[in-house]
Amino acid sequence: MRWGMVIDLAKCTRCHACVAACRIEHFLPLRVTWPRLIALETDNGYDVDVSTYPVRCNQCKDAPCVDACPTQASYKREDGIVAIDHDKCFGCRYCVIACPYQNRTYLSRKRNPNYFPEHAQTRFEKMGKKLYPHQVGTTEKCNFCHERIDAGREKDLKPGIDRDATPACVNTCQPRALTFGDLDDPNSNVSKLIREKSGFVLHSEYGTEPSVYYIDYKLGGNPSNKAPVEAQTGSHIQHLSTVYAPSKPKLAKKNAD
Amino acid sequence: MANREVVYSTCKSCHGGCGVKVTKEDGVVVHIEGNPDSLTGGTMCSKGLSSIQHIDNPYRLKYPMKQVGKKGEGKWERISWDEALDTIADKMKAAIKDYGPHTIAISQGTGRGYNRYTMRLARSLGTGNAITPGYVCHSPRLGLYALVTGYGRLYCDYHGWGGEFPKTQIMWAKQLEISSADSEMCYWYMRSLDYVKNLIIIDPRASAYATRANLWIQPRPGTDCALALGMMNVIYEEELWDKEFVDNWTFGFEELRERVKDFTPEKVSDICWIPKEHVIEAARMWAIDTPGTIQVGSSLERQANCGHTLRAITCLMGLAGNIERPGSMVSWVLPDTGLIEDFNLELPITDEMKSKIIGGDRFKMGATRTCNPDTMVKRLLAGDAPIKVWFSVGGQQIVHMANTKEVVAAIERVEFMSHTDLFMGPMAEAADIVLPAAHWLELDDVYDMHPRFMIEAHNKVIEPPGEAMSDAWIFNEIGKRVVPDKWWDTVEDMLDYQIRRGEGPDGGPLKWKDFSEKLVSGCWGPDQVYYKYKTDFWREGGGFPTPSGKFEFKSNHLESLGYDPLPVYAEPGESPVSTPDLFKEYPLVMSSGYRQPFYFLGQYRNIPWLRSFMEFPTCQLHPETAKLYGVEDGDIVWIEGPRGRIRQKLRTFPGIKRGVLMATANCFYPEEPAKGYHGVFISNPNVLTSNDHLDPMYGSPDLTCLLCKVYKAKDEELKEEVFRNEEYGFVPPHSQEDM
Repeated sequence: MRWGMVIDLAKCTRCHACVAACRIEHFLPLRVTWPRLIALETDNGYDVDVSTYPVRCNQCKDAPCVDACPTQASYKREDGIVAIDHDKCFGCRYCVIACPYQNRTYLSRKRNPNYFPEHAQTRFEKMGKKLYPHQVGTTEKCNFCHERIDAGREKDLKPGIDRDATPACVNTCQPRALTFGDLDDPNSNVSKLIREKSGFVLHSEYGTEPSVYYIDYKLGGNPSNKAPVEAQTGSHIQHLSTVYAPSKPKLAKKNAD
Repeated sequence: MANREVVYSTCKSCHGGCGVKVTKEDGVVVHIEGNPDSLTGGTMCSKGLSSIQHIDNPYRLKYPMKQVGKKGEGKWERISWDEALDTIADKMKAAIKDYGPHTIAISQGTGRGYNRYTMRLARSLGTGNAITPGYVCHSPRLGLYALVTGYGRLYCDYHGWGGEFPKTQIMWAKQLEISSADSEMCYWYMRSLDYVKNLIIIDPRASAYATRANLWIQPRPGTDCALALGMMNVIYEEELWDKEFVDNWTFGFEELRERVKDFTPEKVSDICWIPKEHVIEAARMWAIDTPGTIQVGSSLERQANCGHTLRAITCLMGLAGNIERPGSMVSWVLPDTGLIEDFNLELPITDEMKSKIIGGDRFKMGATRTCNPDTMVKRLLAGDAPIKVWFSVGGQQIVHMANTKEVVAAIERVEFMSHTDLFMGPMAEAADIVLPAAHWLELDDVYDMHPRFMIEAHNKVIEPPGEAMSDAWIFNEIGKRVVPDKWWDTVEDMLDYQIRRGEGPDGGPLKWKDFSEKLVSGCWGPDQVYYKYKTDFWREGGGFPTPSGKFEFKSNHLESLGYDPLPVYAEPGESPVSTPDLFKEYPLVMSSGYRQPFYFLGQYRNIPWLRSFMEFPTCQLHPETAKLYGVEDGDIVWIEGPRGRIRQKLRTFPGIKRGVLMATANCFYPEEPAKGYHGVFISNPNVLTSNDHLDPMYGSPDLTCLLCKVYKAKDEELKEEVFRNEEYGFVPPHSQEDM
């Protein structure tokens, strides 16, 4: 098992919701962000490309940060996630330099002011100190929400399929540009996408074997606009369990608009 | 053991209405995420998620206050709710007695969640002078849809309920992918893209999907009407129209043919600065690959030819038969709670009220139910004081209206103004009394804004700070004090009233308590009805609810009001064509249509998580255009027009049309002092816009098409606090300072 993510560059809208969801999920300090968006905008004279690359820790198979860590604070979990033991990290920042993708952040005091620096901590921040403490003087990065994965799997939930076992950024993405799943399973959503849409990794020449893949294509050109049966019945909108069943609309009533 | 509690609610951080799941621990909000059991599938954007920094924001207004200095001085003193409400009510009563109810103005911003309260308060007081940004956002299209189809609400059918998704989709001056505003949810749109054959983006600036769409057209700002006429020209020339629909259900087909005859692709190419092939290609996709939808952006409504632009676009829908077909433009069947606006429509606007609407004699489509704000500004400046008391809720008229200098001068002349808001801002500083409002996580209310087939609930998650109260409570308290027979004892009574036509669990009227537990109610899937004009839905024997019973390419009603009955193209008030001399001095076409996904109009620059994404208001130029004018990426630049100049940060962007400058609109600096109205003159493009040239039908000014020049600001000109403040800036994860 090796958890991975496929990021759809055609669908990403640069909306930043993934960043916002991550900040809440991990009570991130004010000046720390785990995922980032990198804009790539080019005009070669006849063709314009406006792209957004969402990036985060690649959870590399051959992770230079793990190799560089003198205290084994950075380590590789059996499911492929690169994790950090903050009690072992003593802030040498070798890993920050070792990561060729620049996806690690050293949490300095400067990065950790109150959300409103001139004011007292908010209730959310105070609760964060208890629920998800951050240690100033250590290094941080995206952890694929392994807390969610672990808690979910204890309940027999499937990461990438069940929300409560899936990273927060994947859940919140409005264009559904993020897909999460098991790279070792050839039938998983991620494996299929990589195969069918020619998934690629960023800077493969670094040779670190990232677990974050990208796909890109032109929108449009879909062969059929026919709606599947489940869409026609209305159940295309997922999970209507909380919906109060409406009585039949009164069709004779004119719209007074 | 910590006490965890989950509350479901509905977000209104933009127009949207996304389902929300909030987790509290020991009474503190510790998590916000989308509600998977909602129509937005558990997704949420950065604005809604960052509400955590909204509810605990130390800058929130907590108590009613009165201004004890001069307007705009920022000297405030806390008062009680009774004193605040009684003062406002007394001023209203005095104005009614001394000058008549029409001298009271009730204003709102986007009014999401409280539109109907604004309108009901105005009508119950007897004034037609409601002030809304509707005339530059959404109202013109509703009016024009109503004129052409008889029904004012046409939405894009992204749902597949009728068996088909749109085959061709046009995004016209709209970034639905980041905005869920006006009529649709981005989640629905983006899901329907899995079925689209042709995606056409019409935007001078590359929105997220522009460079991956099938066709991206970059018209010169303000020329969209010509493009629509040109597309129709191609449809006529190549005989691509929907024969069945046109023959049986339309009026004025031949007259429209005559009208669009001149708008050949060559001519449109000259007007819009686009290749003629784009006009032809778009017309063919649109008319051949049906069904299709056009998502209209409000940038088109911020132009002084907006009436005819939207009319032309609506005609384009009809020519292709993209009306009421599954996967086309559809008017939704309402939920059984009925039309939410009945809450205000049940109080009629009398002829007396109508006759006193400011601008009503001139803008006969727009100023029939609400006042024309630009005319009001001119009259206030002329000294005839048409408004004595102004009850303002939520909106920033100072920011969003054209010609900021005149707007500020006019508003300072209003004898008495109150403003309700969550934070201090330009409008609050111009008021005599401010009232603290609750955030959507802090109130109970019905949410029924634009998606007409559903109705949702805001459920109170936490208590508001200090003495802040919900909009519903504030409106009801004012209403009770001045016109008690039109308002309710409690907010809950008022909420019950609004949803009473729904069916409760016991078979009786739906009550708020039951509804709020259910969150969503509505009609979708098989409950929707397509092809309503072929049934008795609108008219016995079929047809549209228009005077002719047909879809009206030509409108005799419009003619009777003194307007051209067919769509007609007009240049913007200031443009390379209409004012060539001005264009020599100001050689760039400017638009204030640049919107970011993490701000909503004037909101959220005081939310640190959101401000981190873009510290300063930013404008965009093509790298080659920037080079031509000697400015570089990252510069703070002056943008200057005939009425003044502003500063924004420049980003060179290859995705923008050459020769066009796209500025961020609606920007003020919450952190700046009251004096100067929180920096409203520093970067706000409306310092540059004109309120002299207005759309004849709707009174809309040219906010998204004007002229400007650009040059770098000198270092000594950047002494304002905002340009030195590094507090909010985005710090990269890997920076020198960490080493």
